[in-house]
Amino acid sequence: MGELLELTEVHAGYGPRSVLHGVSLSVPEGGIVSLLGANGAGKTTTLRAITGGVRWSGNITFAGRSLRGMSTEDIVRGGIAHVPEGRGICTELTVDENLKLGSHLRRDGAEVRKDYDRVFEYFPLLKARRKLSSSTLSGGEQQMLALARALLMKPKLMLLDEPSLGLAPIVVRSIFQIIKTINETSRVAVLLVEQNARIALDLSSKALVLEVGRVAVRGDSAELKDNESVRRSYLGY
Amino acid sequence: MSRLRGAPPRYWLVVIVVVFFLGFPTVITSFQASLWAQALILAIAIMGLNILVGYSGQLSLGHGAFMALGAYTSAILAHRYKMDYLLTIPIAALFTGLVGFLFGIPALRLSPLYLALATFALAVVTPSLIKRPDKLTGGVQGIILIQPDPPGIARDAFATVTGTPMTSDQWIYYISLACVLVLFWVAWNLVRHRPGRAMRALRDGEVAAAASGVNIAGFKTLAFGISAFYAGTAGSLFALATGFISPDAFPVSLSIQLLVGAVVGGLASIPGPLLGAIFAYFLPIESNQWVPSQSWIPDQIASTVKNAGPAVSYGVLLILIMIFAPNGLVGLARRGYELLQKRLRGTNDRETGQLPPDPQTV
Amino acid sequence: MQEFFQQVVSGIAIGGIFASLALALVLIYNAMGLVNFAQGEMAMFATFVAYALINRGMSYWIALPITLVLAFGGGIAIQRLVIKPVERAPVLTLVIITLGLATLINGFAGFIFGYVPRSFPSPFSSDSVDVLGVFVSYRDLGVIAVSGLVLLGVYLLLQRTTVGLTMRAAAHHPEASRLLGVQVSWMLALGWGLASAVGAVSGIMVAPILLLEPNMMQSIIIYAFAAAVLGGIESPLGAVIGGLIVGITVNLAGAYLPGVGGDLQLAVGLAIIIAVLVLRPNGLFGRAAIRRV
Repeated sequence: MGELLELTEVHAGYGPRSVLHGVSLSVPEGGIVSLLGANGAGKTTTLRAITGGVRWSGNITFAGRSLRGMSTEDIVRGGIAHVPEGRGICTELTVDENLKLGSHLRRDGAEVRKDYDRVFEYFPLLKARRKLSSSTLSGGEQQMLALARALLMKPKLMLLDEPSLGLAPIVVRSIFQIIKTINETSRVAVLLVEQNARIALDLSSKALVLEVGRVAVRGDSAELKDNESVRRSYLGY
Repeated sequence: MSRLRGAPPRYWLVVIVVVFFLGFPTVITSFQASLWAQALILAIAIMGLNILVGYSGQLSLGHGAFMALGAYTSAILAHRYKMDYLLTIPIAALFTGLVGFLFGIPALRLSPLYLALATFALAVVTPSLIKRPDKLTGGVQGIILIQPDPPGIARDAFATVTGTPMTSDQWIYYISLACVLVLFWVAWNLVRHRPGRAMRALRDGEVAAAASGVNIAGFKTLAFGISAFYAGTAGSLFALATGFISPDAFPVSLSIQLLVGAVVGGLASIPGPLLGAIFAYFLPIESNQWVPSQSWIPDQIASTVKNAGPAVSYGVLLILIMIFAPNGLVGLARRGYELLQKRLRGTNDRETGQLPPDPQTV
Repeated sequence: MQEFFQQVVSGIAIGGIFASLALALVLIYNAMGLVNFAQGEMAMFATFVAYALINRGMSYWIALPITLVLAFGGGIAIQRLVIKPVERAPVLTLVIITLGLATLINGFAGFIFGYVPRSFPSPFSSDSVDVLGVFVSYRDLGVIAVSGLVLLGVYLLLQRTTVGLTMRAAAHHPEASRLLGVQVSWMLALGWGLASAVGAVSGIMVAPILLLEPNMMQSIIIYAFAAAVLGGIESPLGAVIGGLIVGITVNLAGAYLPGVGGDLQLAVGLAIIIAVLVLRPNGLFGRAAIRRV
């Protein structure tokens, strides 16, 4: 069976320093996988390797094609939406312009309009703030904008880097509910990097824990949640 | 001391170079000596610029203006007030240094880009500014200077060695050489000791420098003042060497020439300015004369080089050097020396698990 | 009073020229954080190209757009060949490279076209027309109209088209844009092309006034610097307003201040630069810093 995204024995790092030491993982089509671990474990580096932001060795394939040697722009155009740490909002631009950047590559006009409607259903406040500068949005609102923008790219896979960071619990819950809905209705696969292990495990079907650049634990989210020792040692709760 | 083991080649090199320049006028014509004097003078100005740009990280594109200030100060003192020219040199240098220091105070608030912009504008406007107070500066007509004769001792000493007494041009060459030696020695000491380290700390990161207790404002303005002092000396000598100054002697291309010399020679190095000056001064002359005379260069290329003149060569070389060898000639020499040492020592340590360097998209 | 208004209108016209060149500087500053010291020389070279085309019998109004297209291509070429290889270098290195470029283009123009000043045709008649009681020359009105159209065109391009949006995104947020599939490198090249074309307009507009020769733009670039700095180096609107203010100020200074005339007007430009940098470094519309993400 072909997984949508497959990493095999990936080493990656910055300069002479290696951060990932042989990470293997896969994300099935339409699936949600959590990537957990402490700060510095290499979660962000993993996502960056996938979209070409850091040098890597090993094997990374997406939809059957190897991503080696491809530029970030081309990888993204191939159907991967990456919402980075810090959300990557273009603060010089308005909310509408940010959204437009999400959809600017698409040729299917009618579908795009439908997606805009859907996005505004999920995030009504974005509709209200369309013409405003995106720098006026709060952290939670920016996260919504980042998600909306990623959705408009109509990706096959979304890479989300710490979507809960800095957000109030109630906002986090609502965002994760929306991610779940998106995954169920649009069949978009999600690779979720999170520090908040609990909510990540609630959302995802499979999970891995990274520790110092290696996969320490992997399995079904339900199992990991029930495993006390795993939770205590690796997930901090 | 381990320093002695690594140092000797460099110290010997300095000795050789000094001796070479001391003896040089004995084997070249007087006219050629005057050319080389101008190259040495340019080296002083470039060293000044280097202290500012290379060591304290402030980009000035207007050092031609400081040279003009030094030149006109000396010229006016000598011409109008009949002061002995040699006396005017330190006065002009100190005056220009002071002006530079004062200039450095508002310059503190400017980002490097704005500083470059403002000094560039200054360089463009300089000729106009000189022409204005024409009672003082002689306006468009400029000031003519009488070049001094060498003192009797020098004349005779030179005659004993070469058979002909020293000419005015050769005397000026030696004055310039003396200034180069003194000022380069001063710069070398400056760089090695506290002021230099402070300036380098500035260049590499102001925040860190401030955290380590470096008085940023003080050193930056000091760098400006010192740099202007050098340029003023050079300007003063320049007036002496050419015997005549006018507003048109200080166009913006002079400031560019200084920058070219500083960059090509190698920023943040002591020998750099000398190499850069020789390059910057002789390139236009050579391209105008030497290239067309070589029979193996096709006519088209030769006439292109001759007509396009220094501007195109400067421009192309500046771009190529910044792309391929941003540390200039000195940087290339250093890299070559390191490579040679590695070869000789036969290092071949292999590091395992090494990743290739970051891609450009990071 | 008549004369005063005439000077103001002339000032607006020359201000439009400054604004175009200043806009080019701002476009590149926004894209790369550097001041392109070669902008003036690039404009001068484009003007020579226009001159060559017109000399061969081409009508002015055909030569103009063709020259702009060529200037656009030239700007892209320069970015690809000279700037891109050193994209990651410190800003100072890039500034020095633009200086090298300026020297190179200046020398090259001198080589191909020589240093003898030539007169450049203006498509507008030198008559004056009565506007609200003031006699204004057609030339000034023409320059104002052309500059205004070009600036408006750039505004519409950047603010209302998708290409303009991706260009702005690439300029201010290169990393984030990559993750959205924007080909940042090509957007930068387009930015250079656009800046080159806009700069070319200023050269072509000023040539009938100044006489065309390789050093023609050396004083104009100083005024453009003043305009850009006055307006706020990151603000396209600031470039336009700054240009107008500088144009009017310099013109009035030349007409009414004793002793200021000819090349000393340039000192007024320098004075404006220094005044802005000392009193209000961010200019009228700039912000304290640009955050690039």
